[in-house]
Amino acid sequence: MPSAATPFAGPAIEYRGVSFAYPGSGGSRPALEGITLDVRQGERLGILGPNGGGKTTLLRLTLGLLTPQSGSIRVWGMPPERARREGVIGYVPQRLEAEMAFPVSVRQVVAMGAGRGVAPWRALPRERAGRVDRSLALVGASDLGDHPAGKLSGGQMQRVMIARALAAGPRILLMDEPTVGIDPAGQQRFAGLVRDLHRELGLTIVTVSHDLRAIAAGCDRVACLSRTLHSHVAPEGLTPAVLAEVFRHDVAAIFGDLHVHAHPAAACPDPSHGEGPARQGGPA
Amino acid sequence: MNTIHYLMDPVQRGLFLPGIVVGLGVAVMCSLLSVLVVLKRLSFIGQGVSHAAFGGVGIAAVLGLAAGGAAYLGVIVLFCLASAWLIAWLSERRGASSDTAIGIVLVTAMSVGAILLHESVGRARSQPGSFVAPPGWESILFGSSIGVTWTDAALAWGVAAGIVAALWVARRPLLFWAYDEASARAFGVPARAMRLMLMVLLTLAIVASMRLAGVVLATALLVLPGATALRLSDRLRMVMILALVIALAGVLGGIVLCFEADWPPGPSIVAVLTALFLLSRSPFPVGRAGA
Repeated sequence: MPSAATPFAGPAIEYRGVSFAYPGSGGSRPALEGITLDVRQGERLGILGPNGGGKTTLLRLTLGLLTPQSGSIRVWGMPPERARREGVIGYVPQRLEAEMAFPVSVRQVVAMGAGRGVAPWRALPRERAGRVDRSLALVGASDLGDHPAGKLSGGQMQRVMIARALAAGPRILLMDEPTVGIDPAGQQRFAGLVRDLHRELGLTIVTVSHDLRAIAAGCDRVACLSRTLHSHVAPEGLTPAVLAEVFRHDVAAIFGDLHVHAHPAAACPDPSHGEGPARQGGPA
Repeated sequence: MNTIHYLMDPVQRGLFLPGIVVGLGVAVMCSLLSVLVVLKRLSFIGQGVSHAAFGGVGIAAVLGLAAGGAAYLGVIVLFCLASAWLIAWLSERRGASSDTAIGIVLVTAMSVGAILLHESVGRARSQPGSFVAPPGWESILFGSSIGVTWTDAALAWGVAAGIVAALWVARRPLLFWAYDEASARAFGVPARAMRLMLMVLLTLAIVASMRLAGVVLATALLVLPGATALRLSDRLRMVMILALVIALAGVLGGIVLCFEADWPPGPSIVAVLTALFLLSRSPFPVGRAGA
């Protein structure tokens, strides 16, 4: 059995025929169906899909918070539940739902990520405290350490969330809608940061988003998800036809400034593709 | 100066001192929990659980258990935990909003308590000597410092020590869960266990506060110190210390008010805590670092 600490040769994440339906959906239509995908070690994979397309569900399956009804998932060669316990995945949530007025400093927030495996009543060992410092430095937030976390901008908060994920010492960084609520300049800085982290730490980075720009800015490969996996291609291979199929929209309307023109929804080959049950698109 | 008179006179002191000691223990446990209650927006759940205690008192009374005894308190704790579980079940599994679930459980528990108390009063009248009369309504609802014993004081400080120890032991996962519940599980923090632990600690604190503050006012101690402290600082450690100081000041101030004005202790304590809360909105916020 590999652990997070030992080298491992297989794919970082391996999905084999994964299907999942939420209980109570009456089995009418699963949230995800027949997902088969290898995330290679050290690659930057973007998972692009519309809201309600099953992105959040895939994330929760990958974290072992849900169990697929059929198919299997291995994260670093382990069942997702165990990979989560071992801290293989550093999770960066979509916009923090935390109370903004919560009286914690940035350093306290990042330190939350470093406590795995330490008995809760013990103080963080020095090595872990050092990891907190390094994580803050990696995202360029060393000077924010004593800052109240509630007073950060969206972009600063996003960096702190990445630092918290890094403080867990992960192999894989899993980012959920990382650019939501960040202005265009901040998104560019964010893309640069992810590039640097990838280069310096050699992490496998999986970004899940409905925003083509978030994906195109920093991914080597893109998988399109709308209940089923549509294609996995290099970003430049994202043809208008593929996007129209995934989003079931006139893509030009969504990504107008990218000058992509696509078929209207009527041209979509499978009319069942599209918005899933409402809960499927709920918060991560 | 009734307060000084009461505390100088050995007989009076013997009557009131245990109540004061209970009050200080309650201040310690409730103040620390109140910070979490306010941050996690659990004050209405606290109301639900504390009103459920009234139902628990009814059950204990109809079973003929002596007020304040271990069996009596145990029944109330179990009934409160069952109510907290029912609130969670109604909102998670039955599609009721947590607001509605609390509203339903609160009134049901109060009604159960009222019916059972009514029954046991009737029984105590018809079988005098063989059936223990339940405590009076007013003291259940609003608390009383009369007849508080040193055993009550020891129990209150025992519970306070337990709660402080539990909060200290679980401080790191508890902080993560309180700050970002949605991500906690992804980081291996047992979110469910944290919620369960907090509900159990809240129940213990409510039952321990009931004697002095009563069912209706027990949650005041679980909300006001934290709410006030959070207006004064944005550093967690300072917020905890301020909440503790505010709760101690509220209890001591309330007891003085109770002696001087001859008001019941619970409402007096709440009056002082509310005054402190309103004062904390002064134009000169104290200790607001980084503002």
